[in-house]
Amino acid sequence: MARALSSKELRQKAREVQWEAFQRGLYRFRSNALSMIGLSSLIILILIAFAAPYIAPYPEDARGKTHVTERLKPPSQEHLFGTDKIGRDIFSRVIMGTGLALKVGIVIIFLASIIGVTMGGVAAYAGGWVDDLLMRITDIFLTVPGLVLAIAITAALGKGITNVMIGISLVWWPGFARLTRSLVLSLKEEAFVEAADGIGSSHARILFRHILPNALSPIIVKMSTDFGFAVLTAAALGFIGLGAQPPTPEWGAMINDGRERFPTEWWIATFPGLAIFVMVFSWNLLGDGLRDVLDPRSRR
Amino acid sequence: MKLGSYFLRRLLLLIPLLLGLSLLTFTVSRILPGDPVGLAAGPQATEEIKASLRKEFGLDKPLPVQYFSYIGNLFRGEWGQSLYSRREVASDLKVYFPATLELTLAAIVFAAVLGTLLGVVSALNRNKLPDHLARVVVLFFVSFPAFWLAMMFQLLFGLALDWFPIGKRFNILMSPPQSITGMYLLDSLLTWDWKSFRMAAWHLFIPALVLSFGALASITRITRANMLEALDKDFVRMERALGMPERVVIFKYVLRNAFIATLTIIALEFGWLMAGAVLVETIFDWPGLGLYIVESSLRLDFQPIMGITIIYGIVFSLVNIFTDMAYGLLDPRIRYG
Repeated sequence: MARALSSKELRQKAREVQWEAFQRGLYRFRSNALSMIGLSSLIILILIAFAAPYIAPYPEDARGKTHVTERLKPPSQEHLFGTDKIGRDIFSRVIMGTGLALKVGIVIIFLASIIGVTMGGVAAYAGGWVDDLLMRITDIFLTVPGLVLAIAITAALGKGITNVMIGISLVWWPGFARLTRSLVLSLKEEAFVEAADGIGSSHARILFRHILPNALSPIIVKMSTDFGFAVLTAAALGFIGLGAQPPTPEWGAMINDGRERFPTEWWIATFPGLAIFVMVFSWNLLGDGLRDVLDPRSRR
Repeated sequence: MKLGSYFLRRLLLLIPLLLGLSLLTFTVSRILPGDPVGLAAGPQATEEIKASLRKEFGLDKPLPVQYFSYIGNLFRGEWGQSLYSRREVASDLKVYFPATLELTLAAIVFAAVLGTLLGVVSALNRNKLPDHLARVVVLFFVSFPAFWLAMMFQLLFGLALDWFPIGKRFNILMSPPQSITGMYLLDSLLTWDWKSFRMAAWHLFIPALVLSFGALASITRITRANMLEALDKDFVRMERALGMPERVVIFKYVLRNAFIATLTIIALEFGWLMAGAVLVETIFDWPGLGLYIVESSLRLDFQPIMGITIIYGIVFSLVNIFTDMAYGLLDPRIRYG
């Protein structure tokens, strides 16, 4: 006859199980070569972002310094990626833009997931008319593809990188809301919710401390797989001309800048595009690996 | 008849959604800190000119009045006027919409065929080289900015190899096929105009291909996962035991089971591709909704932006309704409640 475990032992046991699951996940993630490549390349990008002012050969070119004599130079030893129409070193500008691209992605994903998780969580937990109301609002945002609505909202708010981040976040949250709602709907029937309710926990505490932490893995997977697309969307708005204004070294805007001189001076648009690709591809590899670990159904 | 009433009910549910959407875009367009009237009137415009412009476009009335007259006009088919070009938004949309629809349809066909094929190949070679390869390839292509890839393809296939035109929907020296739907491929088919058909297809190919890459990854992934699930089912073992050729088992039975989930993704991706068309159109000078919304948004020209958003909303919702209906045709177990 097994002895009932004390609450301290129970907590200890739970921690052991969690640690084991984490180790197993880590093993599966590490044994996936592609996601390790993604992760390493992301770490390098983050390092580049922080070290940018020290490794960029001409950091002042990202702040709008021009060199008329160095206009439109093709890639060479001095200018690895060549120079643009006002003589700025593209290599330096690409490096200096890394941090911005990362920041834009992080801000969008965090804003969108905070709005979405709250909306979806509250809708599912409260149920009834609250659920109806919040989900109809979500539906309205989902009737139009995100990029189109993001263009409309950003145009209204005015050009600029901050407004791009706000505009994209405002169209990105419905996906998180839908996902969270479906997770919370099934979790709120679990016994631990009843138990928490029984000992008198407040609704907010039950939702945010008990239910949502259990819904975290799919949300994290979505955050990581969405990250790359958020960066792409922001670059698209920059390319259209709604994003960062000169001289900000935003990659999308730099491609737009090189478009009129493409393909004769091909390097102006090509290298920022490759930079976007490297960042998005790294995230996608990482996200794909995380999905395998945290959502075992997706890959067998 | 059940399908018919299901369709009608879904259509009715669409109305409050679209009203909500119009309220959203309207609100967005009126909170803007920019000065669209000043922008349209030009830098030399006096206050009187601006005031008369505001009066002409009804911008001097209270907001609720503006909104309700906008909605009323929408139902009458009057979608307002561009502040900038003074042209009717509705007639502009009639020209631009078919171009975008044609491009997106072609792209989704490419993506569906390629993605399903890759998914099937991946599933049949689970965790072997072709599977890994397919996974990397689709992630690779989905990671490029569509507009940048469009530029590279334009350079490679249009300029360097000279296999395809570098832009536009049709040869500018020739007159496009007689307009019935506004979609050149379809129009030239309907009028048996093979020369136009070839010309239109030749212009369409590269833009549609570039656009399709954005949808490849998810279509491949879903097809693979559902193929694997279906391959595990008892009926597959049964069919194999009966000695059915593997080809029939895979394509007739397994794929059909897996395809239902793929269909949802295809419908969802259709909307994303239609949005992605905005970028591809900009590069290939494709006279569609994308070019239109980009130009309008840079000029803060809100009447066209609202119209385009609503068109996108209508198409996206209709596609979803049709997908839900298609389930029933593919899977007899699903009934419409």
